[in-house]
Amino acid sequence: MDVLQFLADGFVSALQWKNLLFAFVGVLIGTAVGVLPGIGPMSGVALLIPVTATLTSGQDPDSAATSAIILLAGVYYGAMYGGSTTSILLNTPGESSSVVTTLDGYQMARQGRAGSALSIAAIGSFIAGIVSLIGLVLLAQPLSEIAIRFGPAEYFSLMLLGLAAVSGLASKSMTKALIMTVVGLLIATIGMDNVSGVARFTYDIPVLYTGLEFLTVAVGLFALGEVFKTILHRDYMNGEVVKVGRVRPTRQDLKDSAGPIARGSLLGFFIGVLPGAGATLASFFSYIMEKKLSRHPEKFGKGAIEGVAAPESANNASSGGAMIPLLTLGIPGSGTTAILMGALIMYNVQPGPLLFEDNPEIAWGLIASMFIGNLMLLILNMPLVKVFAKIIETPPKYLLPIIVAISVFGVYAVQYTTFDLLLLIGCGIAGYFLVQNDYPLAPLVLGLVLGPMIENNMRRALTGSNGDFSIFLTKPISLAFLLIAVLWLIVPLLLKLRGKKVLISEEG
Amino acid sequence: MNTRHRKWSSFALAALSAVVLTACSSGGGSGSSDNYPSKPIVVVAPSGAGGGWDKTARSLTKVLGESKLVEKTMTVENKPGGGGAVFMAEYATQDTKNPYRLFVSSPPILINNLKKEGNTPYGYKDTTPLAQLTKDFGAIVVSVDSKYSDIQSLMADLKADPTKITFAGGSAPGSMDHLISVLPAFKAGIDPKSVKYVSYDGGGEAIAALLGGNADVIGTDISSASEYLKAGKVKVLGITASERLGGDFKDIPTIKESGIDAEFTIWRGVFGPKEMKDNEKAYWAEKLKALNESEAWKKELAANSWEPEFKGSEDFSKFLGEQEVLIKEMLTALGMAK
Repeated sequence: MDVLQFLADGFVSALQWKNLLFAFVGVLIGTAVGVLPGIGPMSGVALLIPVTATLTSGQDPDSAATSAIILLAGVYYGAMYGGSTTSILLNTPGESSSVVTTLDGYQMARQGRAGSALSIAAIGSFIAGIVSLIGLVLLAQPLSEIAIRFGPAEYFSLMLLGLAAVSGLASKSMTKALIMTVVGLLIATIGMDNVSGVARFTYDIPVLYTGLEFLTVAVGLFALGEVFKTILHRDYMNGEVVKVGRVRPTRQDLKDSAGPIARGSLLGFFIGVLPGAGATLASFFSYIMEKKLSRHPEKFGKGAIEGVAAPESANNASSGGAMIPLLTLGIPGSGTTAILMGALIMYNVQPGPLLFEDNPEIAWGLIASMFIGNLMLLILNMPLVKVFAKIIETPPKYLLPIIVAISVFGVYAVQYTTFDLLLLIGCGIAGYFLVQNDYPLAPLVLGLVLGPMIENNMRRALTGSNGDFSIFLTKPISLAFLLIAVLWLIVPLLLKLRGKKVLISEEG
Repeated sequence: MNTRHRKWSSFALAALSAVVLTACSSGGGSGSSDNYPSKPIVVVAPSGAGGGWDKTARSLTKVLGESKLVEKTMTVENKPGGGGAVFMAEYATQDTKNPYRLFVSSPPILINNLKKEGNTPYGYKDTTPLAQLTKDFGAIVVSVDSKYSDIQSLMADLKADPTKITFAGGSAPGSMDHLISVLPAFKAGIDPKSVKYVSYDGGGEAIAALLGGNADVIGTDISSASEYLKAGKVKVLGITASERLGGDFKDIPTIKESGIDAEFTIWRGVFGPKEMKDNEKAYWAEKLKALNESEAWKKELAANSWEPEFKGSEDFSKFLGEQEVLIKEMLTALGMAK
């Protein structure tokens, strides 16, 4: 039987009414999980494992496993759809992959274009979901072979490229963007070093052993920083409530978003395939790429719809890509897929090289249900946009306490420590002063994500090569990334020297 | 990133259990001795949801509750941070007399207490070990097209030039995968410090590195390697058990057979607070023994591919003492002991 035959069988299984119901419940809960700040896809999936076990307990083992995994995967990509909502409306990223969406999404909302931003996020997520599923069906085997060849040297060079691209997140001054990047990298060194096992900057305080939690920092900087600004600058005194405006995107919006969605989908899919890279990087990279490609890079950060379309497509596409190493190799590429894998194992289904041979009906049933689930999400989300968009019409005197409450609740529920609450408030205050002085926040957050990956992969590569740095140049993929990174930095400088006006020279 | 993200999984669970917990933990420690347990019981998994500790805690509470062995409500609480160190710091100081808070642990409770970096001053001696429930063994695994097919040839090459062979594992140096990786070398008389060990974020990434040719050997546990073994992707050169396992693993030699005395058990067990009254200890001795003999527990073990191994409180404490000596010896050889 060929792939299409398998896929057709998968649809037969996924289209059974009970599996349709499971998929619907999954994406519905997923949307809610994504919308609620703090509760990320991982927690949503983990929470539902025992629930699905009860729901499917009457069925035979194979169909129980299929139904359960359909529901859980629905939560996973449903949360990716919903994750943009609070980023756009409240400047509060619900999970790490939505941080970059706040940059332009929140600005759009303030300009009364929340409806457009939310619908573009939903449409982009849908297209990206479908693109990545087609990729999953056609390219799963060859891509998984390539993905495991991706060693520490290749990861290092890819991350270095990401760091070089950080200029794409600068608003006015490159220097300030670089300062923030370095601060992010420094903060990232706190905790147990995973390569040497040495504790750094922990001062024997156990709470610091695992480092500063990424989301605490991000929510503090973005959400609380914005709240403090609104209060201190008495923005709310104007009494001018932001209007929702039109809900559907304009023709121009759609036209502007087409390219970013297409590119974001592809980029997100390929980054998602790499174990350990994940949705956060996918969204950052696609945002930076769009800014670089755009003819109007100055619009980014001020409410450019491309800045919402690209990262939202990319993070959704990466969730499809991440299914490849999970299903073909049994290697979870992200925290959420690790939980999904745990769920499959509970049903005595072992994801891995034998899954497609031993349990084709489960693997293909899942893939088929993801097509259906994505369609459901689009249909579910478009009417919801109107409802959610109303949130920003809430007067600030109610809205601000709500933002503070959900930030505090979200952080405490994960970390269970008052330390993280203090960190949250500290980051909020820092965020306020940084933004006041034009220091961009996104490079700090990116530095925090990239820091450990750059460092660990560099040292893994060097341990393997016995300290020989040429490993980064002798591996072709690694070399290619390094060359692109160098060009990325040098080309604008050359252009500047030849008198061309480029964005990077703005600081003068 | 995995480790960072793993913490997120506890999220919603935490939100749920927080509600339950505030209700039941408030009067902790004051339980009168005769009618123990008189209140709901919390079993802590000192990690996020989804990992081994969490799954053990959930299976344990599920079976004890459903089979009515324990009449009081049992809930699981996730307490992530510092590989269990955050939880231990709190438990060993604030819950020493609270018999309504138990927890699940495994070798890291010994390792964290003995190693220099990321040390926690609290170890198993600050608790009451109640019972060991499961066991697993370390495995030395190579890719199927590796030139090594037995542990001796690997050790011979390692002895000749340790810079040529890269070991990998899913946890930081000084933790479990690293100890498993260097154990055979150490016992074969090779300086464990000379063994090149690369740590990845979790066992999945380590297997990926092995399959992709970015590592030559990985140290892991046999249950994680089994699917790759069945698929013909890897060879298991040896396991750290005292005798061969059954079933799918019957053809895998123990490292001991090769004349290298490397034994290491990855146990999982239940612990209580340090100061437990005799009747409380007796209560759990009886209930956990009954659990171990119940059909429901056997099914739960099979569903998770866990090997049963039961030790009561006394045997378990003695066993922990022996394991502590072994781990201390290895960490000292690695220069990583406290």
